[in-house]
Amino acid sequence: MATIKVGVPSEGDTLDSPVADRFGRAPKFIVVEVDTDTGEIVSYQAVDNPGYTAGSGAGVKAAQKLGELGVKVYAGPTPGPNAYAALNYLGIKVVTVTGVSVREAVKAALKELGS
Amino acid sequence: MVEQVEIVVASGKGGVGKSTLTSVLAVELAKRGVKLVAADADAEAPNLSITLGVREWDSVEPYYEGRIAYIREDLCTQCGICKEVCPLDAVEVVDEKHVINQWICEGCLTCSLACPEKAIRFIFRVEAGSIMVKRETGYGFPLVSSTIRPGRPNSGKLVTEVKNKAKTLLAGVGFILVDAAAGIGCQVISSLTGAKIAVLVAEPTPASLSDLKRIHLLTRHFMVAPALVVNKYDINPEGLEDILDYAGREDIPVLGMIPYDDTVPKAASTGKPLNIAYPESPAAKAMVEVAEKVAEEILVDWRKWYSRYRPKRPAPYIPRIK
Repeated sequence: MATIKVGVPSEGDTLDSPVADRFGRAPKFIVVEVDTDTGEIVSYQAVDNPGYTAGSGAGVKAAQKLGELGVKVYAGPTPGPNAYAALNYLGIKVVTVTGVSVREAVKAALKELGS
Repeated sequence: MVEQVEIVVASGKGGVGKSTLTSVLAVELAKRGVKLVAADADAEAPNLSITLGVREWDSVEPYYEGRIAYIREDLCTQCGICKEVCPLDAVEVVDEKHVINQWICEGCLTCSLACPEKAIRFIFRVEAGSIMVKRETGYGFPLVSSTIRPGRPNSGKLVTEVKNKAKTLLAGVGFILVDAAAGIGCQVISSLTGAKIAVLVAEPTPASLSDLKRIHLLTRHFMVAPALVVNKYDINPEGLEDILDYAGREDIPVLGMIPYDDTVPKAASTGKPLNIAYPESPAAKAMVEVAEKVAEEILVDWRKWYSRYRPKRPAPYIPRIK
C-alpha cells in the first residue's frame, strides 16, 4: 500500500481540531498518513511545532519539522515568505486551506492534488 | 468552529494615519453593535492607546523573548576568542576583563561554541517587553497593546501573543481590529497572517505609493482581501491620481478619502479619538463614513466581501534560497 503524509497546522490534537490560522506559530501539526489509492486516512499523529515558541525563524523551524517527519504535502494557511521558500526547498507541496477541520483540510488537499 | 475574523489596518509607510483611523473605526463599529477587540501590533511605537486615551491598564504581563550571553569570570582566561568571533561586536574589554554588552548581544550562541573554556553562559527568559490589556476602553470594546524594550528583538512572536490575547478577550464570535506596524517585516507579516481583510492606508505621495505596493504584495501573498483608504487625499492631486490608478488596476476597492485636516493632531493632543474630539471636522466625518462602509458593506457579510476581493489565485512571494 502506497501512502503519503499530509501536514496540517492545528489548534488541537485530533482530526476534528480546527486548522490553525497561521503556519509558523501554530501550536501543533497533525501529520496524517493517507492511502494514495483510496484517499482513506490510515493513521495520524499530533506533533508539537517547534516554531510555536520561537523568537525568530518560526516558519523555517516549522518547515524543517515537517521535512523531518517525511511530510510531502502541506495543507493550511499560506506560510510566510521564508517558510514558503523552505517548504519549496524541501519539496513539500503547499495547498492553501483555511476555516475547516484537519480532516477536511486533508480531503481538500487531496482533491486539489488529484485535479 | 468559533469564528473570529481579523481585520488589519496597515500601510507600509509610517505616519499615514493608521492609528487615527483604527481608533475611529473601532469606536464607530462598537457604536453600531459590532463585537470587537482592538489590538495594537506595533510594539516599537504603540500609539493606539494614546489615540484612544487609555492611560491605565487592567493587566500588564511581561513578555519574554530570547537569551543573552554572559561570561563566567571564574572560568574565563581572557583569551579573547569570543571577542574575535562575535558577529555583533558585543564583547568588550572593561578593566582588562572580557564582558558581554547585554544591550548588543542577541544570544546567537557563536561565542559559546568558540569558547575553549566553556565560560559562556546564558540568561534565558529575558524580559523583552510587556503585553497590556484594557478590558473596557470606555468606547465599548477592549484594547490589547504591547511594548518592546529598546534593543530587544521585536519578533512576530509578540504580535502572535497580542493577537492570541485579543482572541481570548473576544471570547467567541466577533472581530479583531489590528493596528499593524509600519513596514513589511516580521511583525507586519505576523499581523497579516490569519487575517481576512486589510484596510490599507495611503497618502498621495510617491513614498506612500511605493510602500502601498509593498504591503499589497504581502496581502496577495497571504490571500487577504485589501481595501484602500486615502488619507490627506487633497494635498497632492497628481499623487492621488497615481494611487487611484494603482487601486483600479489592482482591483483594490476604495473605502474612502480623508481630507487634510488640522483637527487630527489636535485630537491626538486631547487623548480622544478624532470622531469624539472633533465630530464635526471634515476628516472625522470622512472617517466615520469609512466606518459605516466597513460595517454595512464588509462586516454585514464578510465572507461575501472576502470572496469578491481576495486574490483569485495564490500569489505567494517566495524569496530564492540557493
